[in-house]
Amino acid sequence: MATRKYLALAGKAMRFRRRLLLLFALTVVVSVAAVALIVSAMARRAFDRANDERTAALVAQFRREFNRRGDEVARRIQATAVAPETSRIAVAAAKPIPDYSVFLDDAQVLAEAQRLDFLEFADDRGTIISSAQWPAKFGYKEPLARANVPTTAFLKEEETPEGSALGLFFVRTMPDADHVLYIIGGIRLDRSFLESLDLPTGMRVMLYENLNSGSEKFAPEHLISASGSAEDALALAPLIREVQFREKDATAIITAANAADEETVNAIPLTGENKQLLGILLVGSSRRPYAELRNQIRSAALLAAGTGLLLAVLLSSWAAARVTRPVERLAHAAHEVAEGNWNTRVETSSSDEIGELADAFNRMTHELLDQQERLVQSERVAAWRELARRLAHELKNPLFPLQLTVENLLRAREQGQQQFDETFRESATTLLTEISHLKNIIGRFSEFSKMPQPNFQSVDLNELLKEVVKLHQAQFVGAKIKVHFQRPRLLGDPASDVRNAKTRVAADPDLLHRALSNLILNAIDAMPTGGTLTLSTSVEQHSARIAVSDTGKGMAPEECERLFTPYYPSKLGGTGLGLAIVQSIVSDHGGRISLTSEPGKGTTFIIELPANLDKLPAAQGTHV
Amino acid sequence: MKRTCSILLAASSFLWTAPVVAEVRPHYGGTLRVAAKEAPGSLDPGSLAVTGPAGLTRVVFETLLKLDDHGYPQSGLATSWQAEPGNQRWRFLLRNGVSFHDGAIIDANAVAASLRAGNPNWKIVPDGNTVTIETDAAAPQLPAELALERNGIFRRAGNKMSGTGPFVIAQWDPRHLSLKANDQYWAGRPFLDSIEIDFGKDYREQLTMFDLGKADVIEIAPENIHRSLAEGRTVINSEASKLMALVFAEGPKSEDEAHARTALAMSIDTTAINNVVLQGGGAPTGTMLPNWETGYAFTFPIHGGAENVRQERIQGRRPPPLTLGYEASDPTLRLIAERILLNARDVGITLQLASTGAVDLHLLRTPLSSSEPHVAMSELAKALQLPEPKFSNSSVTALYSAETSLLHTQRVIPLIHLRSAIALRANVHDLTMLPSGEWQLANIWLSPEKP
Repeated sequence: MATRKYLALAGKAMRFRRRLLLLFALTVVVSVAAVALIVSAMARRAFDRANDERTAALVAQFRREFNRRGDEVARRIQATAVAPETSRIAVAAAKPIPDYSVFLDDAQVLAEAQRLDFLEFADDRGTIISSAQWPAKFGYKEPLARANVPTTAFLKEEETPEGSALGLFFVRTMPDADHVLYIIGGIRLDRSFLESLDLPTGMRVMLYENLNSGSEKFAPEHLISASGSAEDALALAPLIREVQFREKDATAIITAANAADEETVNAIPLTGENKQLLGILLVGSSRRPYAELRNQIRSAALLAAGTGLLLAVLLSSWAAARVTRPVERLAHAAHEVAEGNWNTRVETSSSDEIGELADAFNRMTHELLDQQERLVQSERVAAWRELARRLAHELKNPLFPLQLTVENLLRAREQGQQQFDETFRESATTLLTEISHLKNIIGRFSEFSKMPQPNFQSVDLNELLKEVVKLHQAQFVGAKIKVHFQRPRLLGDPASDVRNAKTRVAADPDLLHRALSNLILNAIDAMPTGGTLTLSTSVEQHSARIAVSDTGKGMAPEECERLFTPYYPSKLGGTGLGLAIVQSIVSDHGGRISLTSEPGKGTTFIIELPANLDKLPAAQGTHV
Repeated sequence: MKRTCSILLAASSFLWTAPVVAEVRPHYGGTLRVAAKEAPGSLDPGSLAVTGPAGLTRVVFETLLKLDDHGYPQSGLATSWQAEPGNQRWRFLLRNGVSFHDGAIIDANAVAASLRAGNPNWKIVPDGNTVTIETDAAAPQLPAELALERNGIFRRAGNKMSGTGPFVIAQWDPRHLSLKANDQYWAGRPFLDSIEIDFGKDYREQLTMFDLGKADVIEIAPENIHRSLAEGRTVINSEASKLMALVFAEGPKSEDEAHARTALAMSIDTTAINNVVLQGGGAPTGTMLPNWETGYAFTFPIHGGAENVRQERIQGRRPPPLTLGYEASDPTLRLIAERILLNARDVGITLQLASTGAVDLHLLRTPLSSSEPHVAMSELAKALQLPEPKFSNSSVTALYSAETSLLHTQRVIPLIHLRSAIALRANVHDLTMLPSGEWQLANIWLSPEKP
């Protein structure tokens, strides 16, 4: 029993240890997570800053290349302007009725010579004389052939038979006396342009050609990169649409289709001569280094957390052991005290709070022992006083008639023989009766003091009850009491029926007979005008229960509390020993007695008895 | 003395003039080297796949009749012909003493067998030296039809084909054709010993070969005629002998579509195309047949110009885009197709160019196969997969009516009539072209080249 309790205590201590471990672990994990988050955030800020710098450098490189190519285009246009073919075109354009038919292929030839992707000649009416990119466009108007032409290279959307294209253009005018020849040429802003950029590792540059005159529909085929068609074009669509809508720089983090890599993409709008959005430069910077760093931080954090957890386990175990061992000893000692072993002491060598607690505990048990001793002594004195009072009371009642009888006899002696004889006979009867009463009182006290220890035998409780009832049958009839036997049940299951099962326990049949007889007599006394006496038994594997219920006047709760106190009479004329004897018998059997009572409805006494099979002689043990 | 002087003068005069006479007299011998763009898929005259320079196979496979410059039939392998009333049954008397290259004597059965291969609907009856042809309906142009190159008379012996022409096939593959003189030709051996033709050479390659002296005769693209002349080459060109036209796969299905086709026809600036792209190598037209064949073509309006664009601009709902097909290997056709795309855009029609796959309309350049207008019209309709024209008779009025009906189907938009041209070296003599663009190779002779 003590071991089980100690284990229960130990279990509680384990819970405390778990809490301590949890606290330590939580502290470690939270600390590591906080550090990891802070480091991650700092790494991210540093990466973003570096990324911004790299993007800015690449954009600057793009602009330099843009300007360099613009200068190159201007130089090639200048070279075209001084070509003999151009002079012939200029001469033809100056004629009153020019014939441009012979110049159909000239733009193509000159464009090829100057490595221009676009080249057109237009007269001062804006009429295209010859076009390299769309030879069939002769005779159509060229909007750039006008008075104020741009003086530097610019971005322009150019129509070709294959569709629109984005180009870097320059316009050169060849004024004559009365006429002007416009030379409009350029190069494509295409993959080769992107290829010429020196890209740092992990970066890519793309160009979205915002063609078809401001259409805000995203066309994946218009997105080109140095390696050809751009990967993850659809992932870039929202960013491109944002720039198309706002015509401002924008940044987004996109995830690759395989979700393996993330990339920061900066989108820079590229505008044409009239500030119309013609292209979007997209600079992508892989976030793989950051992801790898983040993973490393996470791995380190996990490692630190794991190590911390291990340390937390060890530390918490050590700390818990230091903290809980004295507490466990204290708890164990407290349980010992609860068991009645008030002499328990807790050994401690520490002087901390736990040591103080142990000292306090020891002082408490010491005080408890003292108080118990004092209480026992005072109770003993009180018991003696009560006994003396009870004896005095019990003896005073018969003594008073005895005194009166003797005084009557003395008076009768003085009044004459006849009177004396008559009085003597009456007094002798009274004296004998009261002496008998005194003997009876003394006998009961003697009997209570000589209560024997139970002699355990196998007892069928139902049979025993029936015997007791049979003994009092005449009293039941006289008192108009109906006796009702309830069939045996299993404990906790009122609907069960174990009528055929034996309700046997190991008990002393004589003592138990006496206890039950006392309870039945009490019940008869509680029903002076008749009633119903209900007797029942119920069993389970290791115990049995007997209930004795009456329908008498019942008792108040305070009466119930004092009912088993020795010499407390529960009825008029009682010695107060009946129920004390019952309790003593039940207690000697290792059982307990309790009662429920309700004023006006009746009282039920319940005797719970253990099976006590271990107390049977070996020969009977298995036959209970 | 006077007499002596006269004799001396006469003698010296003879001596002086003799070389001159020798220069203009045809020379026997020599090999004519020709470069051509299109390679014939087959030399079988009955095959519709025969392409290449027009008239080329005539030097091997002769026809019963030939057409002169005016489109009138002349005798060929048939010496005379006669139609029964109603022009449904024709009788042809074959020339005597003509044999195939393999030595077999040509007779009515061989002629009938050859003609049946390409004309399964004709009822052909050989009878001794006469062949009678009966058609389902009146066929007043049957003599002209028999003069078509595809009706050349041939004899097949195994895989070898024999004709009756002045030249015999010595070797042929899709890239090269060798012809040698037919010594037994019924009209006398040709002057040339042989003709070597390289196919698959584009115009630029041909010019290079010509300028390097590797070819004696080459084709000249219409747009290069002026330039070739300006550069001093000897150029022979025909009358308008090819039709450049837009041909729709099917007729319009709605009034909107018909209107769109009208707008498209009106928008195309054929004058600009001819003047600039073709460098005047053709003539804008509103008809399928050229004026020299019909005499009425000038009455048809020629489209194009800003005024037309303003009038025909499609308002409201734009028609769906159309796919325009063209032959990708021809850069001039591509350029013209691009120009048409631009012109169409001006009237609100979207065209998409495609060189392969299914298309809504084609830009085609189709040769006129006959100098006889009715036959030319029928052959043209057949080549363009248009409905067969119906002629009530052989008059020009019937031709006009048939052509007008064909144009009203809106299946075809005639654009330009193109000329055919060839450049030849100075030592090539008696090479002529018919107005239809057919080469006349039979009488060519080569003079020695001057060092």
